[in-house]
Amino acid sequence: MAELDEIIHQPLRLRIMAALNALPVATGLEFARLKKLTGATDGNLGAHIETLARAGYVAVDKAFFGKKPQTTVTATAAGRGAFARHVATLQEIIAGKQP
Amino acid sequence: MIDSQQASAALNDINDVVQRVRQSRIYQNASLIIVMWGVLVFVGYLANFTWPPQGYTIWAVVDLIGIAGSIAIAAFSGIGPGAGAFALRLLVAFLLFIAFGIFCSAVLGHFGPRQMLVFWPLFTMLFYALAGLWFGYAFIVIALCSSALIVTAYFYAGPALLLWMAVVHGGALVLGGLWMRRI
Repeated sequence: MAELDEIIHQPLRLRIMAALNALPVATGLEFARLKKLTGATDGNLGAHIETLARAGYVAVDKAFFGKKPQTTVTATAAGRGAFARHVATLQEIIAGKQP
Repeated sequence: MIDSQQASAALNDINDVVQRVRQSRIYQNASLIIVMWGVLVFVGYLANFTWPPQGYTIWAVVDLIGIAGSIAIAAFSGIGPGAGAFALRLLVAFLLFIAFGIFCSAVLGHFGPRQMLVFWPLFTMLFYALAGLWFGYAFIVIALCSSALIVTAYFYAGPALLLWMAVVHGGALVLGGLWMRRI
């Protein structure tokens, strides 16, 4: 029986992973855009990205464009795999294959 | 473990975010094309104002650069594996658009220079509005605002129509494209 991924299952982290997973492989989202797409606040988003990064599900790239810092978050292969398994488990629960 | 209702809510949440990401990517890529066309037509109107006898040549060059640029942006926009096919469909759409526009304006309508000047941008805005029905309301807003400004220019700009068009058509596209990137 497949288990839900507890790291991804938290609502905001689920939205972050869904957003990153909707992009082509190796394409990331800038922090401000990710915040807008997920409806998160600055601090909240930063903390959840850190949790996902510690689990190896996302890669965080910090760069400077001129004097302006820009943080880009990208789903890793492990993150994409975990997200796919999590979605499959959700679908199994809906289909009644899981208790 | 969660029940099926909670699982269903989670999947709905995922679908909602995926939809937002797709919309955002469409706006990001389209805005580049729209801003590019805004700059091109702005330059085209000013060139046409400066060298009126060269009007057809100027607009042929503007259109060729615009079409090539649009296809290049579509092909290299990072849409993913379907980018090549999308760029090809865009090329076919441009060719059909131009053929139908020439048929209406030159064969059926015999438009004069002033009518030609507003027909093409209005015809373009019709496609923006149609695109908006599928790809997002921003296209419709840009089409409505630009069309209103173009029609106003046609009736009230008098001999300065080309300069008005540079500002209201080129300017509206640039501003609309930049606005699209922020939503």
